[in-house]
Parts: sequence; C-alpha cells; structure tokens
Amino acid sequence: MKVKFWGVRGSIPCPGPYTIKYGGNTACIELRFEDSDRLIIIDAGSGIRELGNYMMANDLPNGPIKTEIFLTHTHWDHIMGFPFFKPGYVQGTKLKIYGPVSYEDDSLENVVGGQLTYRYFPVRQAELASEIEYINLKENRFDLGEGITLTTKYLNHPVLCLGYRFEYRDKVFCTAYDTEPFQNVFCTDHDDPSYNEAMAHEGDQAARTENQRVEEFIAGADLLIYDAQYTQKEYESTRIGWGHSSCEYAIAAAKRAGAKRLAMFHHDPVRTDDQIDELTEKYCSRDHTGDTDIFFAREGMEIEL
Amino acid sequence: MPSLSTTVSKVMEICNSPTTSPNDLNRVISLDPVLTGRVLQLINSAYYSMVNRTTTLTRAIVMLGINTVKNLALSTSVLESLSVKKSFQALSMDNFWMHSICVGVTARSIAAIKRIPVTDREEYFVAGLLHDLGKIPLNNLFPKEYVHAMEWAELQQVPLYRAENSIFEVDHCTVGGMIAEKWVLNETITDSLFYHHKPVEVREKNRQFVAIVALANTYTNFLEVGSSGDRFPEDAQATHLLEQVGISWSALLDLRETVLDEIEKARIFLQLTQKG
Repeated sequence: MKVKFWGVRGSIPCPGPYTIKYGGNTACIELRFEDSDRLIIIDAGSGIRELGNYMMANDLPNGPIKTEIFLTHTHWDHIMGFPFFKPGYVQGTKLKIYGPVSYEDDSLENVVGGQLTYRYFPVRQAELASEIEYINLKENRFDLGEGITLTTKYLNHPVLCLGYRFEYRDKVFCTAYDTEPFQNVFCTDHDDPSYNEAMAHEGDQAARTENQRVEEFIAGADLLIYDAQYTQKEYESTRIGWGHSSCEYAIAAAKRAGAKRLAMFHHDPVRTDDQIDELTEKYCSRDHTGDTDIFFAREGMEIEL
Repeated sequence: MPSLSTTVSKVMEICNSPTTSPNDLNRVISLDPVLTGRVLQLINSAYYSMVNRTTTLTRAIVMLGINTVKNLALSTSVLESLSVKKSFQALSMDNFWMHSICVGVTARSIAAIKRIPVTDREEYFVAGLLHDLGKIPLNNLFPKEYVHAMEWAELQQVPLYRAENSIFEVDHCTVGGMIAEKWVLNETITDSLFYHHKPVEVREKNRQFVAIVALANTYTNFLEVGSSGDRFPEDAQATHLLEQVGISWSALLDLRETVLDEIEKARIFLQLTQKG
C-alpha cells in the first residue's frame, strides 16, 4: 500500500507563512495498492482539491476515473473540499462515497452533496456529470474485493465518526481520527448529591472497555494515523469533550497497540511550523519512541508500506 | 409508541439545558419505560451492529456522548408525547408509570440481595421497567376492548394476560416481546417481556433473570404500588418464583421501605420540573 497525505490540518484550512512546511489543507489521504489500479480516498477536506487536480493530469489519461471516498465523519473540515474535486465534473467518473450518518440527520447524500446548492455554491449536485453512489457505514468488517479488507470502528467525537483499518497483503493501514479517549462522564464524587454508585462504576467500566476496543482496532498497524490536535496541557486546560486527543495520548496508545509507525494528524489550526518542529524534537526522537516510528504528518508526504 | 407524559416535561427541561449533567440525563430517561426502550433501540439498530448490543443507558451515554443521547431522547419524547393523554384510556398513565418503576426498582433490589455485581444490576432495572411495554399499544389502539379486558379480569378474578388472550387472542407478553425484538433489545430483556407471566417456559440460561423480574412484578402487584391493571396474580406462581429465585417472602417485605423511598425520590425528581 502507498499512502499520501494531501491535507493534515484540523478544523479549518489555514494557509499562510506559518504553515508552509506542514501544510494548511484539511484532511485528505490517498491510498493506492500495488498490482491494482484501485484508488481509495479518505476524507474530502480541502486537500482533495489538489488530489483531484493530480488525478485529472495522471489518472484520467488512462481511462475514466473510478474511486471510493471514505469519509470518517461529516464535520465540515472533512467534506468541504468535495465541491472542488474536479473528477466529479467529468463524464464517465464513478464515485462511491461512504460514511457514517447519525440517525436523526439527513442522508449522506444530503449532508455531503447538500454543499452543492445555489445558496453555497454555483453548481448543483444534479448538474455533476459523474455517477455518484452514497453508502452509509456502521461499525463492521467488509470485503472490498481484490484482497482488500476494511474494518470500521466508532470513535469518540461529538458526531458519529469512524476509524478505518485497511488490510492488504499482510500490511495494515489504520486511521483513528477525529477522536479523544472515552471518558467516564458520570459523577464520581461521593459527596455530590447526584452521585450514583452503579452509574459511576459502569461509566468507568464502559470508558475503559471502549478505549481498549480502540486499541484492539489499531493493534499492530504498519501505519497508524491518529488524532493529535493538542498537547496534553492544552487538552486538559479547556478542551476535554471537544473530540480530539493529545500527542501524548496518541503516542501512548500507539505504543500500547504495537503500531510500527504513527503519523500524528489533524494539527490544530493555530499550530505553526516552528511549533510542530519543537514538538517533533520533544516527542519523536528515537530514545523517546522505542519501537514505534513517530512523526507529525506533513502535506505531500508519501509512505510506502 | 408514545412516551409517558409523566416524564416528558422533565425530559424536555433536562435535554434543552446546555449544562445538563450526564447523571440527570441518565436518570430522567431511565424513569420512562418507553423512552428507555426507544433510546436502546435506536442505539442498537441505527448505530451498532448486532454483536455489540448496548443494554444500559450508562454505557450508551459513554459511547455516544451526552449530546447524541440528549437529541435522541428529545426527538423521541417530544414527537410522540403530543397525543398521549387521550390515548391512555383504560390504564391510568400515572399508575402505569408507578407500577413500572416499582417493578424496576424491586428487580434491582432483589439482584442486590442475590449479590449480583453492581454493574449488572442496571439491566434488571431496565427489564423491570419495560416488562409491561406490550400493554401500551393494546391500550392505545384498542381502548374500548382494553377496558373490556380489564373488566373481564376483574369479574373472573384472573390475571389480565388471560383476559387479553380471550379478547385479543394475543397478550401483552407476546406484544411486548415483539416490540423488544423489533427494537433489537438484548435477549435477557426480550425474554423478560415475553415470559414474565410464564417464567418456567423461558430458556434455561435466562430463567433466574426472568424469575427475578416476574417476582418483582408479583411483589409490586401485592404492594399495590401504582397499577397496570393486574389485580389477581396467580398464587402458585408466586411460590414457585420465591423458590426459583431463592429468597423468602419476609426478605422481600423488608425491601418495602427502600423501594417506596426510591419511587418517592423519582417522583420528586420529576415534579421539580413541572413547576419550573
């Protein structure tokens, strides 16, 4: 498998002089498979615009484009690039778009394709020349054909969000963003009038089981992309419950799960290149990381598994 | 399936507040049998695959987050509460609620006496709370016939499920079991709905669980806390249940204070709102 990062930023695109090195585009990852022309895209953040342009120049000349887009969730930074994905405008292109949707919301088609309405954009979805199929995903295991299997796992984010684990020829590529550690949200203070022993116990147990399940899901990954938007200090100060993890947690989880490589991902929009370099020095030196190769994901970076 | 309006205003108050505590949210949903069932249904069918069924609200809140569960509860209860008052004709809604809560609380207390671990006791509460769910659609869709069934049970001095069978050719156990299956509730809870009047017929591995729920039901009818229209339980069954569960009637009677106390707390919790 070959993985390329087209967008590594969280929340909102942030171009400018301070984000040149790591990039300012939001989440988009390209995944290709040796001896196959299969192309899988994870997330349609603003990074998908450049990927689309690349595909127009390099894939289209070989025949009509066929690709599958797996959305981790439908928050805006993960779907905003879709209207600017050029292959979508080309006759003959076939797109399959997968993703999770909360029951009370509209269909995936309305949530993602709904960006293409005149109030937001000059082209309507119905005017796109490509053939688009939307497919709802839940937690499960799928055979994608050609020897590729996919396992999905719900993560902890304020909207339904899936982690993806692709396996192909004994190699494992795994994404676990946007997510934060599951917490016992129930009151654990014995003196609080609302304290309830059963709730406190079960909340604790449930959080532990779910965190354990996430680690089983990422276990042994050859490449793991994990949410690391904050530092632990930032996370604990005001950001608990926002649905993102700290670098420290990502590193500890990846090491416990025996991941071979960890790409820290979904950088906070205020994080400058210099700051990421400083964090790299602090967290990614070999004596710190043990058997796991740890780095901050950078736009344009390619990794072969 | 309407939610019980006894709890709806509290659900709305709690769910509409941006500062709701998870404890309050858990509590308010767990006081409404229909809402509890619906939330578990939505979680199990809409979100999760069959392998990972969620059986308690506590776990659901940790897994899905407080906002998702809040929205689930809000949309379920608000949409379905509108016509509830007039649809409760034969059974009194408040009495039905009291009965359901009492069976839930009693089942949980018996589980505690039987030294079942704290984290497993919640499921006994849920099963007790939901055990008579099947009465709601019968009562709502066929109010005249249901009044008739209740009169028939009264006149013949038989359990209500027998009267239901002779009038509808189906009883609330079968209807409840069907709802539980449709809502993808787990097997123990589904069996409790199906078999709480025929606990000897349930599969071996759930026999003790269902017996505890059935005993809690018998005990609640004996105490006459609330009512779900069942005034003549079968005596033979009570003896069998005490044996099966392995508890004495006097130990059950000792629970009275605790159970009534918990129900009172739930009432106060719900009423606090209706003023505010």
